[in-house]
Amino acid sequence: MTAPFSSLSRRAWLQRTSAGFGAMALHGLAQGAANPLAPLSPRLKARAKRVIFLYMAGGPSQMDLFDPKPLIQKNHGRSVAVPLPEKDKHVSTAKLLALGTEIPVRPRGQSGVTISDLLPQTAAIADELCLLRAVQADNNQHGPAALQFHTGVTAEARPSMGSWISYGLGTENQNLPGFLTIHPGIETRLYGSSFLPAAHQGTPVVLPAKVTDPAIDFLTDATTDGATQRRRFDFIQRMNRRLIEHDATDVRLEGMVQSLETAFRMQTAAPGLVDLSKETEATKKLYGIGGKATDKNGRACLLARRLSEAGVRFVQVTLDGWDHHGDIRGNLPKSCAAADQPCAGLIRDLQSRGLLDETLVVWSGEFGRTPWSQDLSGTSPIEKHGREHQPDSFCTWMAGGGVKAGFMHGETDEFGYRPVAGRVHLHDLHATILHLLGLDHEHLTWRNLGRDYRLTDVSGEVVREIIA
Amino acid sequence: MRCYFHLWCLVAAALNLGTLSARAVDVFRDQVEPILRQRCFECHSHAGKIKGGLTLDSPSGWQKGGESGPALVPGALDQSRLIQAVRYATPDLEMPPKAKLPASEIAILEQWVAAGAPDPRETAIMAEKKGVDIEAGRKHWAYQPVRETAPPPVRDIAWPLNEVDAFLLAKLESTGIQPGAGAEAHTWLRRVTFDLTGLPPTEAEIATFIAAPSLQAHERVVDRLLNSKAYGERWARHWLDLVGYAEQIGTEGKIFAEHAWRYRDYLLKSFNADKSFDRFIREQIAGDLLPAASPQARRENLIATGFIVLGDVDINSIDKLKMEYDFVDSQVSKVGTAFLGMTLGCVRCHDHKFDAIGQEDYYGIAGMFRSTKTTFRTNLGIWSNVYRVPLPEMPEDRAAASEHQKRLATWHQEKDKVTAELKPLEAALKDKAHTESPETKKHRAELSVQIKTLEGKIAHAEYFDPGKPQALAVADVAEPADMRLTIRGNPYALGDTMPRGLVRVAMWAPQPQIPAKQSGRLQLADWIADTRHPLTARVAVNRVWQKLFGEGLVRSVDYFGIRGENPTHPELLDYLAHRFMKEGWSQKKLIRLLALSRAYRMTSSAGENAHASESDPENRLLWHMNRQRLDAESIRDAMLAASGCLAAPAGGPGLPLEFPENVSGLPLKPKSNHPQFAIKTERPSQSYERTLYLPVVRTGTQLGSARLRDVFDFPQPAQITGKRNETTVPTQSLYLLNADLIRQRASDLAGDLLATTKDSDPSRIARLWLRVLNRPVTPAEQADALAFLKDTSPGTPAAAAWTELARALFGTNEFLLRY
Repeated sequence: MTAPFSSLSRRAWLQRTSAGFGAMALHGLAQGAANPLAPLSPRLKARAKRVIFLYMAGGPSQMDLFDPKPLIQKNHGRSVAVPLPEKDKHVSTAKLLALGTEIPVRPRGQSGVTISDLLPQTAAIADELCLLRAVQADNNQHGPAALQFHTGVTAEARPSMGSWISYGLGTENQNLPGFLTIHPGIETRLYGSSFLPAAHQGTPVVLPAKVTDPAIDFLTDATTDGATQRRRFDFIQRMNRRLIEHDATDVRLEGMVQSLETAFRMQTAAPGLVDLSKETEATKKLYGIGGKATDKNGRACLLARRLSEAGVRFVQVTLDGWDHHGDIRGNLPKSCAAADQPCAGLIRDLQSRGLLDETLVVWSGEFGRTPWSQDLSGTSPIEKHGREHQPDSFCTWMAGGGVKAGFMHGETDEFGYRPVAGRVHLHDLHATILHLLGLDHEHLTWRNLGRDYRLTDVSGEVVREIIA
Repeated sequence: MRCYFHLWCLVAAALNLGTLSARAVDVFRDQVEPILRQRCFECHSHAGKIKGGLTLDSPSGWQKGGESGPALVPGALDQSRLIQAVRYATPDLEMPPKAKLPASEIAILEQWVAAGAPDPRETAIMAEKKGVDIEAGRKHWAYQPVRETAPPPVRDIAWPLNEVDAFLLAKLESTGIQPGAGAEAHTWLRRVTFDLTGLPPTEAEIATFIAAPSLQAHERVVDRLLNSKAYGERWARHWLDLVGYAEQIGTEGKIFAEHAWRYRDYLLKSFNADKSFDRFIREQIAGDLLPAASPQARRENLIATGFIVLGDVDINSIDKLKMEYDFVDSQVSKVGTAFLGMTLGCVRCHDHKFDAIGQEDYYGIAGMFRSTKTTFRTNLGIWSNVYRVPLPEMPEDRAAASEHQKRLATWHQEKDKVTAELKPLEAALKDKAHTESPETKKHRAELSVQIKTLEGKIAHAEYFDPGKPQALAVADVAEPADMRLTIRGNPYALGDTMPRGLVRVAMWAPQPQIPAKQSGRLQLADWIADTRHPLTARVAVNRVWQKLFGEGLVRSVDYFGIRGENPTHPELLDYLAHRFMKEGWSQKKLIRLLALSRAYRMTSSAGENAHASESDPENRLLWHMNRQRLDAESIRDAMLAASGCLAAPAGGPGLPLEFPENVSGLPLKPKSNHPQFAIKTERPSQSYERTLYLPVVRTGTQLGSARLRDVFDFPQPAQITGKRNETTVPTQSLYLLNADLIRQRASDLAGDLLATTKDSDPSRIARLWLRVLNRPVTPAEQADALAFLKDTSPGTPAAAAWTELARALFGTNEFLLRY
């Protein structure tokens, strides 16, 4: 349900930059006919123009990667006395055995940002990163936690972060949607637009295994040749034009005709964009393309750069496999090997193209993992244990787009369980991302059922300490 | 210190200034106040925010405290929430939220409180209202009783066909706007057929009607449609949008709601039988508590309560208390939105910001659902599941049960037989000297596979026992009780007990007595279904109006509160609400009235009406019909109907769980996961059934040909919405251009047209237009289509060319719009 007021209030504080947007279009907006993706410039000073969100689905272990804890290390295999509320006690973690980190986490570069040896490429760009070490979320299950990371709430269907940003800023490239999500999981709400206009929903992109497979759903028609498709398209548009001649007063008809035009252009523009073969060998190597562990993620990250460069406001890449309930010492290195080079390569590539300053890169899971071990079998040795989910504190890094480079923010207690300083709740993180894009999280609203909704619900403070 | 002066502030004298020593005053000013100012005021002062209702810029602020009660108890450190908060003693109460204070500052605050919290500041007591003002809130139009209104006089007495038209015309005449002309006969027929049944008219229906579109012909059409089974299919789906219905429980994993379809079929039956709407309400909220005349009726009553549990719920939550509270919240919200147009969900955490709904109102109803069994803890890991009740047995269940037992027995016999054959072969292997021939080895492997398959079949059949019908439904708990208010929705931070009761702003009598051992849902249902309720009938008729006219008389169909839209025609709304109740809450009678009005016949074009376009561009006064985009279901169903392939309605389970390969995790093992669905085999007939019957899933894309839902604004099943979005996005255009589904339907349609060999190409084109656009083809289109066929397939147009032409028509805006 969309109320016309929302569009009006948004217009009141956003300057529309496209030409020819007159009083007529105001009415059109209310009817959903005018182009909701026209680029807008924010009122606040924008530090970033676009976002690339590297989503580590499953919840990487912050302690093993970024936030070393000597107390846990010292007590490896022994029970630790943590004052844990009953409702936070999880399956097969009752013994609270400290699980030390096998591979060291060390200070890196000039800045001393702490990163594990498991992420050597990330470690090498430590001085570009802004590491948040006390990020907090509210739910310890994947579904609700992922939902909260993407939409701000742990239940219901609310607009996702990318949708809000597309709504706030439009897209810079009219041949492409404002929000694309590469390799999304099965939960469509993570890129849904809910009550925001559907033009702002994320368009899923799946890198094809075969060249002939479309990366975007329904992008191509393999059953007919180009000439036949063109003929059919032209016939449809002749029918549509006749309808408009018959009744020129309905602005929606014009919108539908334009949408069909855009779709037809996308059929032409998008396949070229997802075709990575034109990139140089050096670039491919930078992302680990061709490498056994890194190929898939490398191609996804390179595609993210191409889409972002082409003007897509919000590009998400999902890199999964971080849910290490068992044998974390055996499995974490594999996940790191698959993600390290592609993510670090993306930062280097953006930097060398001069895009990093205007692109905000965010790297995070939906939560972190417990400092104590989890043993689902109940019989395995400590070396084979994993870690349970931990929303109470985890690590996220950001780079580019107006955040301090080579900077660490936030501290956790000696267990690595709760923040003791510089806590950044997800609402704060969202507020900060919007702020960096020049959007005030308290004013980016949409009226639904009489209430003005926002990404940060009723909370959120911009984390000014991390802004450059 | 600067005090806070406002017109609405009463400034009281300092309470205890005279008793404080100069030393205490100094300590406060020099040490305590700076900490409060620097660390707390941003969120807890009148100059900053007043989070949690707490202010710390005056002694009365901490004395009164916030939503959790007084912030500190002088002299008692352990009872002072402020001290607990700065100590970070409990995880749910840590202040300041970003980082713990330095130990030195905590010590100062502790010393201050221990010393009796001497606070020399003057006190500004806010003259704030206590709770919500129900009497003032009741002045809002929607909480006023429904009035019996009469149609107003009009100048143009020839225009109105019935009372509805008089109300509309009177308003148009008063503003000097001319109502639009009548739509063409075929346009009206297409409109009414889609609106009432979600399907297009057939070639024959179009021919009959446009030959003689008399008043009686209009009536015959409407009556025919209202009596068709397709009517229930259309309106059941509208209602499902208000339920959060899916055949999947929660979003963690793929847990099937294997009995959900019974509720969908219950809706179908109810709408087709034109069940009175007040009865419909009672059954859905309290069917389990209603008397029933027969096992069949009892069954219906139980299934109806699926309304309460068929929403999104986090059944994999470790925190069961939170899961239960969240589910109760979704139930209170749903009842508020679906039946009353009230946003009750807001009130879980605080009094409603705009409407006169207090937390006692919310928890009054929440207590009823808290006293209702809606989930249960399974013995599978940490999984819960939605509550289910066994249904009274019917003769057909006994037949199914005996059939089922026979089948199981056969499989067991088969398994025994195969096992008996396998045993000696395996035993022989134990003898080390024995050498197995390759044939025997192969045979042994085959036997093992057979056993495995049979075991799978048996486990599957035992799990889905058709002899024991169940419904996802509710029952009262053994000890119903009032609920305690939660602080900001946190189930671990409880406030006062709130007696179960109804929403005061919409009440006309004292709170009902809830009998001991009952949840109160029956009293809730009686209140909602009462003819004196100011909201129920208005909300219901407005929903029907919106489906037929595109916009509601109240445009915010799910929200009638202060911030909602005012009715454009309040007298008409009340007329319809009153008549609806008087005519036995009959939806069919209401729809008949609206569909046979002159207003419903108007063209959807704004045409040359410059004055109207200028003064009422949004068409609030309804001077022309509003256009609507066909919804996802209608788009798919219309293509099926046009191609002649639409299957007869079936009903029953949507998820094809009858194929064992579609269910993982069986047989159940101790500590195992919940069994889940993974659809590998589709039920072939489903490709041709109406979209209503296809399973709805909560996570991932919709299955099979239901995928089209994702593209055309089908609401997320977690979302409760009476009016769907109608968006225009390139993804839809790509779908129309390229999706296999469209091509298949176009191919079926082409095949059907070409099957009648005696037709000429022009007459086939004419039939194609009737099938897809439901109107006669124009000469220009006829010529264009012939040229298209010729270009696509030089010589004689082949099936492929006709398919392309049908695809093109399915891609036109005219097909997608209901004019």
